[in-house]
Amino acid sequence: MELIRHSDGRWSLARVSELEYLMLSRIQESADPSGCDQALERLYPSPVAPTAQLDHEAALSIEEDWREYTGPEIRDGFSQALEKVALDIASASVEDDEGYEYYGMTLPDAHAESWCSALNQARLVLHHRHELPEEAEEMGVNPVSEEWIVVLQSEIYGMIMEFLIKEVLWDQ
Amino acid sequence: MKAWPPPWQVLIFDDPVNLMSFVTMVIRRIFGYSEQKATELMLQVHNKGRAIVWTGDREKAELFVQQLQSYQLLAAMEPVE
Repeated sequence: MELIRHSDGRWSLARVSELEYLMLSRIQESADPSGCDQALERLYPSPVAPTAQLDHEAALSIEEDWREYTGPEIRDGFSQALEKVALDIASASVEDDEGYEYYGMTLPDAHAESWCSALNQARLVLHHRHELPEEAEEMGVNPVSEEWIVVLQSEIYGMIMEFLIKEVLWDQ
Repeated sequence: MKAWPPPWQVLIFDDPVNLMSFVTMVIRRIFGYSEQKATELMLQVHNKGRAIVWTGDREKAELFVQQLQSYQLLAAMEPVE
Protein backbone atom coordinates (compact mmCIF):
# COMPACT_ATOMS: atom_id res chain seq x y z
CA MET A 1 0.00 0.00 0.00
CA GLU A 2 1.19 3.48 -0.83
CA LEU A 3 -0.12 6.60 0.84
CA ILE A 4 0.30 9.69 -1.29
CA ARG A 5 -0.25 13.34 -0.46
CA HIS A 6 -1.14 15.45 -3.49
CA SER A 7 -0.69 19.20 -3.71
CA ASP A 8 -4.24 19.82 -4.95
CA GLY A 9 -6.14 19.06 -1.74
CA ARG A 10 -6.39 15.32 -2.28
CA TRP A 11 -4.68 12.18 -1.01
CA SER A 12 -4.48 8.65 -2.30
CA LEU A 13 -4.42 5.11 -1.11
CA ALA A 14 -2.58 3.40 -3.96
CA ARG A 15 -1.36 -0.10 -4.80
CA VAL A 16 -3.62 -1.58 -2.13
CA SER A 17 -3.25 -5.37 -2.20
CA GLU A 18 -6.24 -7.69 -1.97
CA LEU A 19 -5.47 -8.46 1.68
CA GLU A 20 -5.17 -4.76 2.53
CA TYR A 21 -8.38 -4.03 0.64
CA LEU A 22 -10.12 -6.80 2.57
CA MET A 23 -8.99 -5.17 5.81
CA LEU A 24 -10.19 -1.75 4.65
CA SER A 25 -13.54 -3.32 3.72
CA ARG A 26 -13.84 -4.48 7.32
CA ILE A 27 -13.60 -1.02 8.88
CA GLN A 28 -17.34 -0.52 9.28
CA GLU A 29 -17.97 -4.03 10.62
CA SER A 30 -14.95 -3.84 12.96
CA ALA A 31 -16.05 -0.48 14.37
CA ASP A 32 -19.46 -1.84 15.44
CA PRO A 33 -19.39 -2.21 19.24
CA SER A 34 -22.65 -4.19 19.42
CA GLY A 35 -22.48 -7.01 21.93
CA CYS A 36 -19.25 -5.81 23.53
CA ASP A 37 -19.94 -3.89 26.72
CA GLN A 38 -16.32 -2.77 27.16
CA ALA A 39 -16.25 -1.28 23.66
CA LEU A 40 -19.60 0.45 24.23
CA GLU A 41 -18.38 1.91 27.50
CA ARG A 42 -15.17 3.05 25.86
CA LEU A 43 -16.90 4.75 22.90
CA TYR A 44 -19.66 6.32 24.99
CA PRO A 45 -18.15 7.02 28.42
CA SER A 46 -19.76 9.01 31.20
CA PRO A 47 -19.07 12.74 31.05
CA VAL A 48 -18.50 12.70 34.81
CA ALA A 49 -14.97 11.83 35.91
CA PRO A 50 -14.78 8.81 38.25
CA THR A 51 -12.95 11.03 40.75
CA ALA A 52 -15.65 13.74 40.74
CA GLN A 53 -16.69 14.88 44.22
CA LEU A 54 -20.40 14.98 43.38
CA ASP A 55 -23.35 13.50 45.20
CA HIS A 56 -24.92 10.52 43.47
CA GLU A 57 -28.02 12.41 42.32
CA ALA A 58 -26.07 15.26 40.75
CA ALA A 59 -23.86 12.83 38.81
CA LEU A 60 -26.90 10.81 37.73
CA SER A 61 -28.66 13.92 36.49
CA ILE A 62 -25.68 14.96 34.35
CA GLU A 63 -25.38 11.43 32.93
CA GLU A 64 -29.11 11.24 32.10
CA ASP A 65 -29.01 14.55 30.25
CA TRP A 66 -25.90 13.40 28.43
CA ARG A 67 -27.54 10.13 27.36
CA GLU A 68 -30.62 11.96 26.12
CA TYR A 69 -29.08 14.91 24.29
CA THR A 70 -25.35 14.55 23.71
CA GLY A 71 -24.93 10.80 23.26
CA PRO A 72 -27.13 10.63 20.13
CA GLU A 73 -25.17 13.50 18.52
CA ILE A 74 -21.90 11.69 19.14
CA ARG A 75 -23.32 8.43 17.76
CA ASP A 76 -24.59 10.20 14.64
CA GLY A 77 -21.17 11.70 14.04
CA PHE A 78 -19.52 8.28 14.28
CA SER A 79 -22.12 6.72 11.95
CA GLN A 80 -21.77 9.44 9.33
CA ALA A 81 -17.99 9.04 9.29
CA LEU A 82 -18.27 5.26 8.90
CA GLU A 83 -20.79 5.59 6.06
CA LYS A 84 -18.61 8.08 4.20
CA VAL A 85 -15.58 5.80 4.48
CA ALA A 86 -17.58 2.75 3.37
CA LEU A 87 -18.66 4.63 0.23
CA ASP A 88 -15.05 5.67 -0.48
CA ILE A 89 -13.87 2.08 -0.16
CA ALA A 90 -16.66 0.74 -2.36
CA SER A 91 -15.67 3.24 -5.06
CA ALA A 92 -12.06 2.03 -5.26
CA SER A 93 -10.70 1.35 -8.72
CA VAL A 94 -8.90 -1.87 -9.60
CA GLU A 95 -5.65 -1.96 -11.55
CA ASP A 96 -3.87 -4.92 -12.98
CA ASP A 97 -0.10 -4.90 -12.71
CA GLU A 98 1.70 -7.89 -14.18
CA GLY A 99 -1.02 -10.29 -13.11
CA TYR A 100 -1.55 -8.78 -9.65
CA GLU A 101 -4.66 -6.80 -8.85
CA TYR A 102 -4.30 -3.62 -6.85
CA TYR A 103 -6.96 -1.28 -5.54
CA GLY A 104 -6.68 2.47 -5.38
CA MET A 105 -8.65 5.57 -4.47
CA THR A 106 -7.96 9.29 -4.53
CA LEU A 107 -9.97 11.26 -2.01
CA PRO A 108 -10.47 14.91 -1.07
CA ASP A 109 -8.83 16.25 2.11
CA ALA A 110 -12.34 16.82 3.47
CA HIS A 111 -12.73 13.03 3.84
CA ALA A 112 -9.62 12.66 6.02
CA GLU A 113 -11.47 13.57 9.21
CA SER A 114 -14.05 10.83 8.62
CA TRP A 115 -11.32 8.33 7.83
CA CYS A 116 -9.50 9.12 11.08
CA SER A 117 -12.71 8.76 13.06
CA ALA A 118 -13.67 5.47 11.41
CA LEU A 119 -10.18 3.97 11.68
CA ASN A 120 -9.81 5.02 15.30
CA GLN A 121 -13.24 3.65 16.21
CA ALA A 122 -12.42 0.35 14.53
CA ARG A 123 -9.09 0.14 16.42
CA LEU A 124 -10.78 0.83 19.74
CA VAL A 125 -13.50 -1.76 19.22
CA LEU A 126 -11.07 -4.40 17.91
CA HIS A 127 -8.82 -3.99 20.94
CA HIS A 128 -11.71 -4.30 23.39
CA ARG A 129 -13.56 -7.07 21.56
CA HIS A 130 -10.43 -9.22 21.20
CA GLU A 131 -8.86 -8.08 24.47
CA LEU A 132 -5.59 -7.40 22.70
CA PRO A 133 -2.49 -6.62 24.77
CA GLU A 134 -1.11 -3.08 24.64
CA GLU A 135 2.05 -4.18 22.85
CA ALA A 136 2.41 -6.83 20.14
CA GLU A 137 5.46 -8.16 22.02
CA GLU A 138 3.15 -9.29 24.81
CA MET A 139 1.30 -11.63 22.49
CA GLY A 140 1.74 -15.35 22.03
CA VAL A 141 4.12 -16.84 19.51
CA ASN A 142 1.61 -18.25 17.02
CA PRO A 143 1.68 -15.72 14.17
CA VAL A 144 -1.29 -17.22 12.32
CA SER A 145 -3.78 -16.92 15.14
CA GLU A 146 -6.87 -14.74 14.72
CA GLU A 147 -5.40 -12.43 17.33
CA TRP A 148 -2.39 -11.70 15.11
CA ILE A 149 -4.62 -10.98 12.11
CA VAL A 150 -6.60 -8.51 14.21
CA VAL A 151 -3.34 -6.87 15.35
CA LEU A 152 -2.22 -6.58 11.71
CA GLN A 153 -5.59 -5.01 10.87
CA SER A 154 -5.22 -2.53 13.73
CA GLU A 155 -1.61 -1.72 12.72
CA ILE A 156 -2.66 -0.98 9.13
CA TYR A 157 -5.43 1.29 10.39
CA GLY A 158 -2.95 3.04 12.68
CA MET A 159 -0.47 3.52 9.82
CA ILE A 160 -3.13 5.21 7.67
CA MET A 161 -4.12 7.38 10.63
CA GLU A 162 -0.51 8.50 11.19
CA PHE A 163 -0.28 9.49 7.53
CA LEU A 164 -3.55 11.44 7.64
CA ILE A 165 -2.65 13.21 10.89
CA LYS A 166 0.81 14.27 9.73
CA GLU A 167 0.18 14.94 6.06
CA VAL A 168 -3.42 16.09 5.84
CA LEU A 169 -5.00 17.09 9.15
CA TRP A 170 -2.16 18.57 11.21
CA ASP A 171 -2.43 22.13 9.95
CA GLN A 172 -6.16 22.23 9.31
CA MET B 1 -23.94 38.67 47.70
CA LYS B 2 -24.21 36.05 44.94
CA ALA B 3 -21.64 33.26 45.13
CA TRP B 4 -19.89 32.19 41.95
CA PRO B 5 -20.49 28.54 41.00
CA PRO B 6 -17.37 26.42 41.46
CA PRO B 7 -15.24 25.91 38.34
CA TRP B 8 -15.08 22.58 36.58
CA GLN B 9 -12.08 20.88 35.08
CA VAL B 10 -11.89 18.83 31.90
CA LEU B 11 -9.74 15.72 32.05
CA ILE B 12 -8.37 13.35 29.46
CA PHE B 13 -7.59 9.81 30.59
CA ASP B 14 -5.01 7.52 29.06
CA ASP B 15 -6.09 5.00 26.48
CA PRO B 16 -3.26 2.83 25.14
CA VAL B 17 -5.02 2.37 21.80
CA ASN B 18 -5.22 6.04 20.86
CA LEU B 19 -2.21 7.22 18.87
CA MET B 20 -0.10 9.88 20.60
CA SER B 21 -0.10 12.03 17.48
CA PHE B 22 -3.90 11.81 17.36
CA VAL B 23 -4.29 12.91 20.98
CA THR B 24 -1.90 15.84 20.43
CA MET B 25 -3.74 16.92 17.29
CA VAL B 26 -7.12 16.82 19.01
CA ILE B 27 -5.91 18.83 22.04
CA ARG B 28 -4.39 21.45 19.72
CA ARG B 29 -7.49 21.63 17.60
CA ILE B 30 -10.08 21.86 20.38
CA PHE B 31 -8.30 24.17 22.81
CA GLY B 32 -6.12 26.09 20.35
CA TYR B 33 -2.99 25.29 22.37
CA SER B 34 0.49 25.46 20.87
CA GLU B 35 2.05 22.24 19.63
CA GLN B 36 4.41 22.30 22.63
CA LYS B 37 1.63 22.64 25.20
CA ALA B 38 -0.52 20.04 23.46
CA THR B 39 2.42 17.62 23.40
CA GLU B 40 3.13 18.22 27.10
CA LEU B 41 -0.50 17.48 27.98
CA MET B 42 -0.54 14.37 25.80
CA LEU B 43 2.63 13.11 27.53
CA GLN B 44 1.06 13.82 30.93
CA VAL B 45 -1.94 11.70 29.90
CA HIS B 46 0.36 8.97 28.63
CA ASN B 47 2.74 8.93 31.62
CA LYS B 48 0.44 9.79 34.52
CA GLY B 49 -2.80 8.31 33.27
CA ARG B 50 -4.67 11.62 33.15
CA ALA B 51 -4.28 15.34 32.60
CA ILE B 52 -6.40 18.36 33.38
CA VAL B 53 -6.62 20.11 30.04
CA TRP B 54 -8.95 22.99 30.84
CA THR B 55 -10.68 24.66 33.81
CA GLY B 56 -13.67 27.01 33.71
CA ASP B 57 -17.42 27.17 33.85
CA ARG B 58 -19.50 24.03 33.69
CA GLU B 59 -21.33 24.79 30.46
CA LYS B 60 -18.12 25.22 28.53
CA ALA B 61 -16.57 22.19 30.21
CA GLU B 62 -19.51 20.10 28.93
CA LEU B 63 -18.95 21.39 25.42
CA PHE B 64 -15.25 20.50 25.54
CA VAL B 65 -15.99 17.01 26.86
CA GLN B 66 -18.49 16.51 24.06
CA GLN B 67 -15.91 17.62 21.49
CA LEU B 68 -13.21 15.38 22.96
CA GLN B 69 -15.54 12.38 23.09
CA SER B 70 -16.54 13.12 19.49
CA TYR B 71 -12.88 12.45 18.67
CA GLN B 72 -13.12 9.22 20.72
CA LEU B 73 -10.81 10.49 23.44
CA LEU B 74 -11.52 9.28 26.95
CA ALA B 75 -12.61 12.59 28.46
CA ALA B 76 -14.74 13.64 31.41
CA MET B 77 -15.23 16.55 33.77
CA GLU B 78 -15.46 17.21 37.48
CA PRO B 79 -15.92 20.20 39.76
CA VAL B 80 -12.70 21.61 41.14
CA GLU B 81 -12.44 20.70 44.81
